[in-house]
Amino acid sequence: MKVLVAVKRVVDYNVKIRVKADQTGVDLSNVKMSMNPFDEIAVEEALRMKEAGTADEVIAVSIGVQQCQETIRTALAMGADRGILVKTDAVLEPLHVAKILKAVVDEEQPGLVILGKQAIDDDCNQTGQMLAALLGWPQGTFASEIEFADGKANVTREVDGGLQTLKLNLPMIVTTDLRLNEPRYASLPNIMKAKKKPIDEKTPEALGVDMAPHLTTLNVAEPPKRQAGVIVENVAELVHKLRNEAGVI
Amino acid sequence: MDFVLSPEQRMIYDYGAKVSQSFDHKYWLENARQNRFPEELWRQTAQDGFVGLMVDQAYGGSGLGLFEMALLIEGMSNHGLPLLMYVVGPTMAMGHINQHGTPEQKSRYLPDAAAGTTMFCFAITEPNAGSNAMRIQSVAKANGERFKLNGSKVFITGVDVCDYAVVVARTTPHDQVKRKTDGFTVFILDLKARGVDYQPINMSVVNPELQFTLYFDDVDLGPEDVLGEVDKGFNILFDLLNPERVTVAAMACGIGRFAIEKAVAYTSERVVFDGPIGAYQGVQHPLAAAKTQVELSSLMLRQAAWQFDRGEAAGAAANMAKYAGAEAGIMAVEAALQAHGGNGFTHEYGLYDLYSMARLLRTAPINRELILNYIGERVLGMPRSY
Ligand SMILES: Cc1cc2nc3c(=O)[nH]c(=O)nc-3n(C[C@H](O)[C@H](O)[C@H](O)COP(=O)(O)OP(=O)(O)OC[C@H]3O[C@@H](n4cnc5c(N)ncnc54)[C@H](O)[C@@H]3O)c2cc1C
Repeated sequence: MKVLVAVKRVVDYNVKIRVKADQTGVDLSNVKMSMNPFDEIAVEEALRMKEAGTADEVIAVSIGVQQCQETIRTALAMGADRGILVKTDAVLEPLHVAKILKAVVDEEQPGLVILGKQAIDDDCNQTGQMLAALLGWPQGTFASEIEFADGKANVTREVDGGLQTLKLNLPMIVTTDLRLNEPRYASLPNIMKAKKKPIDEKTPEALGVDMAPHLTTLNVAEPPKRQAGVIVENVAELVHKLRNEAGVI
Repeated sequence: MDFVLSPEQRMIYDYGAKVSQSFDHKYWLENARQNRFPEELWRQTAQDGFVGLMVDQAYGGSGLGLFEMALLIEGMSNHGLPLLMYVVGPTMAMGHINQHGTPEQKSRYLPDAAAGTTMFCFAITEPNAGSNAMRIQSVAKANGERFKLNGSKVFITGVDVCDYAVVVARTTPHDQVKRKTDGFTVFILDLKARGVDYQPINMSVVNPELQFTLYFDDVDLGPEDVLGEVDKGFNILFDLLNPERVTVAAMACGIGRFAIEKAVAYTSERVVFDGPIGAYQGVQHPLAAAKTQVELSSLMLRQAAWQFDRGEAAGAAANMAKYAGAEAGIMAVEAALQAHGGNGFTHEYGLYDLYSMARLLRTAPINRELILNYIGERVLGMPRSY
């Protein structure tokens, strides 16, 4: 089985986000970029499937500017077999990404596509679901465990009330939650090996995807600053403060 | 001119961020305070292939250069994991064997060293020969084909965790050599050999590797233990000067960045009067100035490493990078310490501990004055003082 993994280049999770002075977006100049952490989990899961013999090829796809190649290289260094870069400078919305991924799926015919449940930059949590709809494939979102049996997959999902396990037919879409696995990082020999792995370059135009925006960003602002907290001595004081100062009870 | 790292180089530089998720600065600091070698971290870096970074692929390494080694050390130090052992072992001792060893020596030592199953330290300093290595008094007296080594070394990093030491000793008395740099030989010494003994030195620096005095009492060495040529040790030891300077600069820059980052986070939160103290320019400017010096030094050390890997003369850049890096590291920790107020001196924040490490790098492994002498005499062409 071929496994396709979508990897997004995002601002590193350690970076303190700053909004541009003109409030048109987030300031990306001189900011460290990394692979979306949920996508690292997606790559890891695909690699474990390959190591277990369930998958025989892992393909990492990234969509965006030329530097997304670095994100693909990271996936290749972790162990993915080859990469596909769909190069565009356009502003990317989840629907664009889902349509591009569908076009790639049509070409590659994987048995499974794994994506992060969301990207830590815009936190949309839409791409996997949209892709499933476009392909008409079953989806197991927010997965914390994936098991294969009798040509089907049991996907355990983290839902509000607890855990839900679905039996899904292949081909299918999975989006990863944090507890699915602990992703590896690349060893030096694997970093060096990744250098020789191929990355195909494509464009949305060549894949027949229209990149016209559906959304207009009106304004981006920082969340209001949190006020410093206080430590209360006991429950009575807490109740007193909630009643008399916060006025919530 | 291209300042962009290749994807491979970027991943090597980022390794510190990755490995620090399992072994963070707190782990480093706890080990440093207890003078315990951070074995688990070391083993992890070895398992991930980084100990053998400079070792040829034929001997189990990755065959990369000083540039990548500096990126690795800088990246680890950026995340609060500076290891002197990476300078003396994988860079100096192993780099030296990789470059100057015979095929037999390389296949005997390098595969295990690259895998991290054996470790190497580097021993040149003596009680009476620190800045002036020409004063080395350890003698390896020839006896037919073999040698008997007697003498001692001080401040040798990591002897307790190492299996071998690369050792410099005199093989011909100074009044019998034509050039004053002749008469020294480099040996690979088995630390378990008969006649080798060592004692830890109580150091005030808070770093995880211990320093030792090494004693040699009639240690038997053979021609198979000679690295390079007998009496011509310094001809090849010169190849180590620049790697040492570059990697120390990398470590200092990383320590500086780590301290500055801590201070930025702290001062952005800490409210003393109105608003966070980080908004005061009196707090910002020392950090901004230190950041500038750190980044300048980092550029210079990369230039030096790049020149070294291309086989070009790297002395000027390497010495300036070492001087600038060590000073920048101290400046950065000093600024961060002041910005933390009293908290900087607590165990919890650990900045004062870091100060000792940053400050060390001004003096050791190579002191500021020798570096400035080099720049004065060799770069500026000024007259020698002695
Ligand atoms: C933590 C630590 C780890 C070390 N690890 C190792 C190791 O693994 N292997 C190893 O071989 N050595 C190691 N060393 C030794 C280190 O390299 C020496 O301490 C250093 O080279 C200085 O030598 P010294 O201590 O003998 O100082 P000295 O040579 O006595 O110099 C004292 C001071 O005199 C001044 N000075 C000296 N010469 C000049 C000059 N020409 N011009 C102007 N001023 C001058 C400098 O300010 C210098 O700091 C380590 C030292 C420390 C502290």
